[in-house]
Amino acid sequence: MAFVIGVDVGGTFTDAVLDDDAGSVVAAKVPSTPPDYSRGVLDVLGLLAEQLGRPFADVLAETHHIAHGTTSSLNALVMRRVPDVGFLTTKGHRDSIFIMNVEGRYLGRSPHELQHVLAQDKQHGLLPKRHALEVTERIDRDGEVVVALDEDEVRRQVETLLADGIRAIAVSLLWAFRNPVHERRIREIVHGIDPDVFVALSSEVSPRIREFARNSTTIMSTQVGPGLRGYLTDLEASLKDAGLVGPLLVMQSNGGAVAASEAPQQAISTVGSVLTGGVVGSQALGRRLGHRNIISTDVGGTTFLVGLIVDGEPERDTTTVINHHPINVPTLRVHAIGSGGGAIAWVDAGGNLRIGPHSAQADPGPACYDQGGTEPTNTDANLVLGILPATGLLGGRKALNAEKAREAIRTRIAEPLGLSTDDAAAAIHAAQNAQTGDLLRKSVVEAGHDPRDFVLYAFGGSGPAFCAKYATHLGVDEVVVPLGPVASAFSAYGLAASDIALVQELSDPAQLPVDPVRAEKNFAQLEDQVRHGLDRQGLAFDRVEIVREIDMRYAMQLAEVTVPVADGPLDRAALDAAAQRFEARYAELYGPGSGFGAAGIQAITYRVRGRGVLPFSPELPPLERADGPVPTSGTRPVYLEIGQGFVDTPIHDYVALRAGHVITGPAIVEVPTTTVVVPAGRTGTVDELGNLHITQTQQGA
Amino acid sequence: MTMAVPGSERFSSRPVDPAELAAQLPESLPVHTVTQEQIDAVDPLTYEVVRHRLWSVTDEMGEALKRMSGSPIVTDANDFDFAVSDELGQEVQVGLYNTMLVGAVDLAIYWTLQHRATNPGIAEGDMFLTNDPWVGGGLHQNDAMVYQPVFWDGKLFGWTSAIAHQPDLGGVGLGSFSPAAQDVFSESLPTPPVKVVRDGVLQDDVADVWVRRSRVPLMIGLDLRAKVGANTVGRDRLLAVIAQYGADTVKAVMKRMMTDAESRLRGKLTAVPDGTWRATGYQDQSHTGDRGLHKITVAMTKAADHLTFDFTGTDPQSGVVNCTYAGMRGGVMLALLPLLAGDIPWSAGGLMRCFDLVAEEGTINNASFPAAVGRGPIGPAWLTGNLVAECLSQMLDQAPDPGDEGAHVQATCCGTWDTAVIAGLDQRGAVPTPFLSIIMDPMAGGYGAQPHADGMDTGGLFCIPLGRVPDVEMTEFLYPVLALWRREEPDSGGPGRRRGGVSASMAITPHGTSFPIGLVLASNGKAVSQNNGLAGGYPGNTGVEYIARGGDVTTMLGSGRMPSDLADVGGSAELQPCYGETYVAPGEVFTMFWQGGGGYGDPLTRDPDDVARDVREEKVTAATAEQAYGVVLDTSGTVDAEATETRRRDLRDARRARGGANGTPRETIDLTGGRRLDDNLVAVRREGADQVACRHCATVLGSGAVGELDLVRYDGPVSDAGPQVVDGAGEYVDVEVAFRQYCCPGCFTAVSTAVVPVDHVDDVTRTSRVLADARS
Repeated sequence: MAFVIGVDVGGTFTDAVLDDDAGSVVAAKVPSTPPDYSRGVLDVLGLLAEQLGRPFADVLAETHHIAHGTTSSLNALVMRRVPDVGFLTTKGHRDSIFIMNVEGRYLGRSPHELQHVLAQDKQHGLLPKRHALEVTERIDRDGEVVVALDEDEVRRQVETLLADGIRAIAVSLLWAFRNPVHERRIREIVHGIDPDVFVALSSEVSPRIREFARNSTTIMSTQVGPGLRGYLTDLEASLKDAGLVGPLLVMQSNGGAVAASEAPQQAISTVGSVLTGGVVGSQALGRRLGHRNIISTDVGGTTFLVGLIVDGEPERDTTTVINHHPINVPTLRVHAIGSGGGAIAWVDAGGNLRIGPHSAQADPGPACYDQGGTEPTNTDANLVLGILPATGLLGGRKALNAEKAREAIRTRIAEPLGLSTDDAAAAIHAAQNAQTGDLLRKSVVEAGHDPRDFVLYAFGGSGPAFCAKYATHLGVDEVVVPLGPVASAFSAYGLAASDIALVQELSDPAQLPVDPVRAEKNFAQLEDQVRHGLDRQGLAFDRVEIVREIDMRYAMQLAEVTVPVADGPLDRAALDAAAQRFEARYAELYGPGSGFGAAGIQAITYRVRGRGVLPFSPELPPLERADGPVPTSGTRPVYLEIGQGFVDTPIHDYVALRAGHVITGPAIVEVPTTTVVVPAGRTGTVDELGNLHITQTQQGA
Repeated sequence: MTMAVPGSERFSSRPVDPAELAAQLPESLPVHTVTQEQIDAVDPLTYEVVRHRLWSVTDEMGEALKRMSGSPIVTDANDFDFAVSDELGQEVQVGLYNTMLVGAVDLAIYWTLQHRATNPGIAEGDMFLTNDPWVGGGLHQNDAMVYQPVFWDGKLFGWTSAIAHQPDLGGVGLGSFSPAAQDVFSESLPTPPVKVVRDGVLQDDVADVWVRRSRVPLMIGLDLRAKVGANTVGRDRLLAVIAQYGADTVKAVMKRMMTDAESRLRGKLTAVPDGTWRATGYQDQSHTGDRGLHKITVAMTKAADHLTFDFTGTDPQSGVVNCTYAGMRGGVMLALLPLLAGDIPWSAGGLMRCFDLVAEEGTINNASFPAAVGRGPIGPAWLTGNLVAECLSQMLDQAPDPGDEGAHVQATCCGTWDTAVIAGLDQRGAVPTPFLSIIMDPMAGGYGAQPHADGMDTGGLFCIPLGRVPDVEMTEFLYPVLALWRREEPDSGGPGRRRGGVSASMAITPHGTSFPIGLVLASNGKAVSQNNGLAGGYPGNTGVEYIARGGDVTTMLGSGRMPSDLADVGGSAELQPCYGETYVAPGEVFTMFWQGGGGYGDPLTRDPDDVARDVREEKVTAATAEQAYGVVLDTSGTVDAEATETRRRDLRDARRARGGANGTPRETIDLTGGRRLDDNLVAVRREGADQVACRHCATVLGSGAVGELDLVRYDGPVSDAGPQVVDGAGEYVDVEVAFRQYCCPGCFTAVSTAVVPVDHVDDVTRTSRVLADARS
């Protein structure tokens, strides 16, 4: 008997899922405990043990490993609650991080904000100029030293930073990824002065071309690295004291975990993990259900996250945006496309209905939360329409005030538009679904795919109320609402299901044809780093999977596209095949003929991804088979279709449903953690794991 | 200047009355339209759903264009745009890239409807190509537009369009820019609308004619396909929307989007006082060897809900600093969209109904064929935009709360684009390869200051909201150069109560080539400031380019030294003209220092702590803090309050002394209940008449009964403007240039500060500028 535990530390709740190799699963949820999130982790683990009816120490002793995902590093960056760090860079180029390629003014802003140029600013610099210092040195694009490193100057600059109280220094020099000699020498000099100073080198954190993103990535990693080190050291010590024998692992944004002791040096790789948990969960569930192409939609109170799984693998990205800075971090691609249930509906100066991008956030929240919010949100509309139970959310534990919702919609939307309050609520619901359909479509199409080839998964507190409708706009036929024992902790379920994943990359930009010896040398070096890294995790793997990739681009075009490179000895033919895959993928993404082959193709960044497959994966327990008709807990008037008004609609209590039950729309399924709408013309089927599948009702069925 | 060319009038496109245009169309071209009743009948839900869908159609077109283009000007610097228009060409939805292009797109479609409907016909599956700045579509020949009619059920439903700046379309000069051009015949050939796609097939003969002219035909061929591809995406998506919601509904939404934008802009105009505001600016040098100043002047009149921009008095076309009517209109849009419509959807077809343009033919911003117009967008069209922005900002500054979301006031941003085309031989690879490109770093200009915020430092260019600069590593990867520095420049933002955004400079030396790199240069704002301050704020820096001629930086680098300014480099510093063709040889260094933004309000009224922060963040030097802002810092960098107060008093006394004021006490007035006019002026109603007074010291400056405000004028040397302005007009022009400031005679707060030619006609003291009903 051995357990695997996934812990997902969010800003509000800490979720955990425990499973064993005998098909039992336990989920738990406790409030998060900022600023020391480790208390919440211990709390939730204690709750798991309690639910198992076992002593805490025994459970930990039998735990194979704990996989931990945390939002704290990301929150620290977004809220800019990070310690002062120093930055050393090439003379003449300090201001890269202040000029921000100009794009720092608008990266990560919504379309609405993009147009409002005069309201933008660049007040989100990473550090004050006095902590960004230059050193005389220069390396060129071929890695040749053009100007030698002035070591005396380095010492003076380091002394200046230390004298100002700096304890962590980011070093990022031009072309250091081509030749890291100066960066490494600087680290030696710093540690010669004070061996306890945290030093991060761009040639290790992000050895990729384009200095602005590399600088930002190295600096942000330095800002969160020491804090993460402190947190994980303390947490791991507490867990060991409490009886944990197996390792503590930390989730990364690439969808895999890494040993806690290894995480701080690559701290930036952990920041997106909280966003990707849902994609990993969808992937794991998809394997069970036999779905290989999945649109994963995670709709919470304030966020709407979209990820794609194509042919069983999550879509990946090489860059993300944090605080208006481009950050180089191999990640699962997750688009934040809207504001979820809290998106505010409003009437603009032209008298038109608009939804979002502003959100009521957690505080004050929707008007119906009765916490002082007066602006109508999607959640308010759903309550007025009867989709949400008047008795409140979470089985009545979260009371809702329908009068406040009606009032907000009446005064802010219905009266200005000359509609009834009910019709206004229906308009909000319908507009939200159509816009979500547009945005989802953009995400799928821009990734080079056809939405009709996908199954859509919808989870998070707000998603299931909308999903069947936005799936229709998108042209997707089958929707899955993951329910069952892990419904409320889907991300933690994903964590428990994850393997160890390490990524190493290196830019070596050159025009094709590249000498295969040079390419092989790059891959060999990266693979060596990955395999050593996996060895250091202190875990026994079932097997190790290695994937080689190159980011390529047409010489004159901006877009880089990642293509796999075959294993085995790298020869000219293998590189030619990679180039052909690049051309094919480029055409798929941007249209046939859009690539400019005559200008040549360039190999930019080499990457090796290694996965250590763990000998555990969670098994979900089967749900009892249905032995009778679908139980109904009654009906209530629900307004689902524009113009049809309220219709008496069957309400089903999810807890009473069994595998094989079929629900004919229109119907509402009330789950303790969410509410699912099955619209007219659609059928909901409960599968053997307790998930609800919503499909087009068959003609004549 | 070549004589006018008879027959060329046919190619001058102008805004049209939509009803008249529709009536002119042949029966063979049925168009789809809707009635006002149908427009009114669209319910709010359908409107919002379809509007959002049209936004996503436009956005997808832009993404497609950006991803497919091979021009670094598009992919790295975002100099392109795209639009969806109704059946007559009125723009329903436009991109957020080069906003000047918005003023040109519809002109080309009107012209096409007028001149192509019968022969060769406008049919389903067609796409047109043009780069004729008189017809429209773009502002100079480098802007090439591909656009297509979209049909539904056999009727012309609407248009999609994609425009991008092309790196070279032939002509005498590299990059199609000939600084010595006497007329358009030295430049790239303007091509009126030609059918490049028929029945869905790209026509090889037309495509070949198009690419044949270029020095980089492969890239031009790619960009042509990129634009065709973007239009295809637009049509497919638009047809899908129509299939789902019906043509009438979609068209009704399109029309309403435009009238919605129009009525909101009209509402905003109604809410501000009527009046006339004027601005005048200059192009210094019109072509290689010219030493003249060339003026654009505008009087903007706002009456009720309508604006008229009257450019009468603008100088005759000259050299290469000309733009066509499309450029003038594009210039207006570059200012109008962000200042007046930041919070209104950019349904430009509606917004453009709110103004008229009045201009004489044959002037530098309404040039007649065959004027050279290669510098159109970055010279006269841009200057037109600067001047329109200055007028709009003065008007909006009278709003009660200029920090309010609805009303935006901004001093002039970086006033031009410093062009540097580089070309040579890259010898770093196994096979030496020729290269040609434009240095994109000057995209990192400074923004003008706003009443409630400093200008954005290296915020970009006002006319390309989504512009960007490439990473230095990408530049060095692609071209055989080494960037010695690229950095923000302290003091380059115009001093003011709110400081103008700083700009940046960069220095490159050949690296990886044994040949000199050829350079074509074009810029302006060297002799006379273009990045003007507002409400007493100072202008931003002068742009300057130098070559360290005969330097040997290679040896210096080898010996372990990295130069940090021109003086370190060695050789002789050779100042570059506005327009020239030259080279930079191995060992030599080329530096560019482009413009920051103008300041807002008198720098002597800036919060001293803000100045201390600027010094700390190296936006301002300690010397300028003291000289321009009157702020004295102690050794730790904190404000010495007492010394600052003394210093500021001394500076005001110096203004008093140099202004020749006699110290006679002036009448003051109780400012209670006063109405804001700008940062310094307030109107106070007394006995049924408005008095204009100083907001700072309550001195009465004038009344509606007197045509001129009582301000103290000082004309002095350009060096009085501060270290950011280069006192070197004589290097470029023969006209004398001066620093000019108007101050309140009571407290000597600056009300207007400028660097202008000595014969510049001011508008500062005109009472009717601030009181619409005053005697003028």
